[in-house]
Amino acid sequence: MLICDEYMTPASLAEAFAAMDAHRGRHRVVAGCTDTFPWAREGRAGDVEISALIDVSRIPELNELRVDDKRVRLGAATPIQRFLDDATLARALPCMPRCAVWFADDQIRAQATIGGNIVNASPAADGTPCLIAHEAEVELVSARGKRTMPLTDFVTGPNTTALQEGELLTAVECDALPAYGGSFEKVGHRRSLVISLVCLAALIKLDKQGRAIEDVRLAIAGIGPRPLRLPEVEKFLKGSSLGAAKLEQAADMPVSLVASRTRQDYRRDVVRGFMLRGLINAARRAGADNAALTPELEAAYA
Amino acid sequence: MPDLRIEATINGKKISRQAKPHQRLLDFLRDDLNLTGNKEGCGAGECGTCSVFVNGVLMKSCLLPVAKAQGATIESVEALALTGELSLLQKAFHKMGASQCGYCIPGMVMAATAALRANPFAGREEIKERLGGNICRCTGYQKIFDAVELARDVQNGRLPATALAEIDAEQGEFIGKNVRRIDAPSKVSGRLKYAGDIIMPGMLHVQVLRSPHAHARIVKIDTSAAEAMDGVEGVITSADVPGEDGFGVFVNDQPIMARGKVRYVGEAVAAVAAQDLLTAKRALAAIKVDYEPLPAVFDPDEAMQPGAPVLHDYAPDNVTKHIPIRVGDVELGFAQSDLVVEETYSTQAIEHAYLEPEAGLAYVDHDDVVTIVSPSQNITHHRAMLARIIVKPISKVRFIMSPVGGGFGGKEDMIYQGMLALLAMKTRAPVRLVFTREESIISTAKRHPSRTTLRMGLMRDGRITASHMTMICDGGAYGLSTEGVMRKAAILGAGPYAIPNVRVDTYGIYTNNTPSGAFRSFGALQTQFATESHLDICAERLGLDPFEIRRINAMRDGAITHTKQKLGSVSLLRTLDAVEQASGWEQGAPVSRGNKRRDLDRADIRPPVALGARFAAVEKQEAAE
Repeated sequence: MLICDEYMTPASLAEAFAAMDAHRGRHRVVAGCTDTFPWAREGRAGDVEISALIDVSRIPELNELRVDDKRVRLGAATPIQRFLDDATLARALPCMPRCAVWFADDQIRAQATIGGNIVNASPAADGTPCLIAHEAEVELVSARGKRTMPLTDFVTGPNTTALQEGELLTAVECDALPAYGGSFEKVGHRRSLVISLVCLAALIKLDKQGRAIEDVRLAIAGIGPRPLRLPEVEKFLKGSSLGAAKLEQAADMPVSLVASRTRQDYRRDVVRGFMLRGLINAARRAGADNAALTPELEAAYA
Repeated sequence: MPDLRIEATINGKKISRQAKPHQRLLDFLRDDLNLTGNKEGCGAGECGTCSVFVNGVLMKSCLLPVAKAQGATIESVEALALTGELSLLQKAFHKMGASQCGYCIPGMVMAATAALRANPFAGREEIKERLGGNICRCTGYQKIFDAVELARDVQNGRLPATALAEIDAEQGEFIGKNVRRIDAPSKVSGRLKYAGDIIMPGMLHVQVLRSPHAHARIVKIDTSAAEAMDGVEGVITSADVPGEDGFGVFVNDQPIMARGKVRYVGEAVAAVAAQDLLTAKRALAAIKVDYEPLPAVFDPDEAMQPGAPVLHDYAPDNVTKHIPIRVGDVELGFAQSDLVVEETYSTQAIEHAYLEPEAGLAYVDHDDVVTIVSPSQNITHHRAMLARIIVKPISKVRFIMSPVGGGFGGKEDMIYQGMLALLAMKTRAPVRLVFTREESIISTAKRHPSRTTLRMGLMRDGRITASHMTMICDGGAYGLSTEGVMRKAAILGAGPYAIPNVRVDTYGIYTNNTPSGAFRSFGALQTQFATESHLDICAERLGLDPFEIRRINAMRDGAITHTKQKLGSVSLLRTLDAVEQASGWEQGAPVSRGNKRRDLDRADIRPPVALGARFAAVEKQEAAE
């Protein structure tokens, strides 16, 4: 059970920083709260008594949403459901709707925020690999000022981040990639409301003929302490033509990265399968030529 | 603690009320506004019984701080039938029989309402997806999906409104007909009161202190600090039990609260009744228990070894119950057989996970009758046991069975009703205890984990000559239903097969694990899992079709069972025929066929689980472009 003396809903960043300062060391910043109450239960933190819960979800800066040709700016309080409902956002971030549909359920997506998903820093967070593949940078603001850093550096380990005392994650900025095909592959114990055992985000841009890979972005989570981008695989695939042999070789490359505490053999199998399925699904959505993506290959892995 | 003032529109009414800053929207609706239609099933956003609309968007009220309701428009399940007339979806749930225990149904109806609001033409796959955040444990999802499709079609004019009406019963026919449940309207509307929904004036809230040790001697319990706290009305331990302190289904080996020692993690040690839940929780933290840890045993095979830790003085060998069955001579049967196959099978503990966590209310009425309201599956037995334990004539003990939000055998044990009775007697006030999901899982019975060794002798033509089965079950720390489970496991273990030589031994063993107890099928599952798996293996070894080996050995009309019961009629052969046909069985001995399987992609075979039904339309369009 979560017990707090005060529940504060600051209307501005300044009010939030003042509240955080007044309750320094005895507060918890919350937004969607979908992991707040489950956290304060038996088996996790148990009964928690806390001075203040500071709800930052109504601060205007955290609700900003901007999309242009090159970049997307997502306020940290953007609910996950927006990636499914907002067509402009879905076009700019091709793997996010696929990620969102596997993210918890319709109800929790309406409440859970992208900022919360990032700051929680679960090794299996669904949103983080997608954003990493989109070259995301986080914006960290405190009463002292503002700094930005790549999302890959922000998540430092299981449930740990580079966030400092008095700082808030206010926004994420990432590449808009409307010309890419996107996919998100996930496996867990239940279709809804499940934490990923492994999840993979793939983005592919093909040439006009739909045969050669102009660009590819890959990121994976659930196989170690934090989500990973796969630059070597990307380099291997970039510029090559789409074909079964190349994709199968690429699929083998990240298998050795599996470093999770449990079920390593299973995860190695999954990684290989997800690489193929993710690449094929993304390529198909990027407009792959039928001759390049043979029906046999699709049937085997899609 | 600065209270919040919540101004919101709830089910069409404007409200302005104080709320505690730590309250969840669910607590505010249920405890402060007495809107108990939506339930709490897990408190962690997993089950969806608490789903409500916030500004038109469905959310889980157990995950929402009440402060988020500020200025919002909230609709709980009560909003769907404000005038008393059920909504279209509620009527469809009623029509399709989509409510069994009913505990998940208010949330299901809300999720279905949200699904059809989002897409009035949603197909079955999309409906499934949109209801994915809600769990049902007994109705079954198919009836629920059927109901949503029915409501969708009536709403869209594809079916007439008369499709919602009852047909058969109107003609006065009931036997062999589909009849709507008479309690369905109360369930689909959320009007039915489960134990945790009931409040009484002056009611106190109970919390239970539980053992952190699997096996330990209780040296001392000091409740004085807890008793001295403001708002605490009563604290009880085993010292407060006036009579013979033991309950069980077959052997009364379990005290109301741990007496002298604890035998499993989660066992009740003390209980507190206080004016509010938070005070009761804080009082638990103030109770000091000195434990002296004892060696514990967690594996039934180890518990059977000489020198193993002993749980109960009356059973120095840790055997709760051994059931032997002997028919003919198995050694002779093996000697006569062409083939002997031996394998070992194991099954794990399973939690019932009924959507309604245990809850109960107790009070001493105007005639001094100690009254307990709870979803107990065995009230007459509980009544007799409790009368003995609290030393009252049975006429002064009353059990009222509240609606059971799923039981499956898991609510047969008097695991908390005794504490409620004692606290009601001690405080002379109504007391209520509502388990959390975690508490329900840690403290109540599970399905018996089992290890079965099965040795079977067969002739080349598939006839079974002998079956020798030994099953060791982990009964956990107390007896509960173990004896009955072992008996049923033994009686049914060799299966519905005519076998001349049978030897079965089932053992229920005490360990320091969570107690095992009754669970649907009551022991038959474990032994039959072994027998049926074994028959498939034997069929493979003999090159026989798995259906065929069963037909060859099937008991037929007039058969005598292994425990000498004469069966007038046996439906096994008809059942096998029906299953063979319905499953699209490919005849022959078991083989690994890999991609030569022919049963995939058939219209009547369900495809693998996938998500993204809502993308299907978009992709179809993309493909067309």
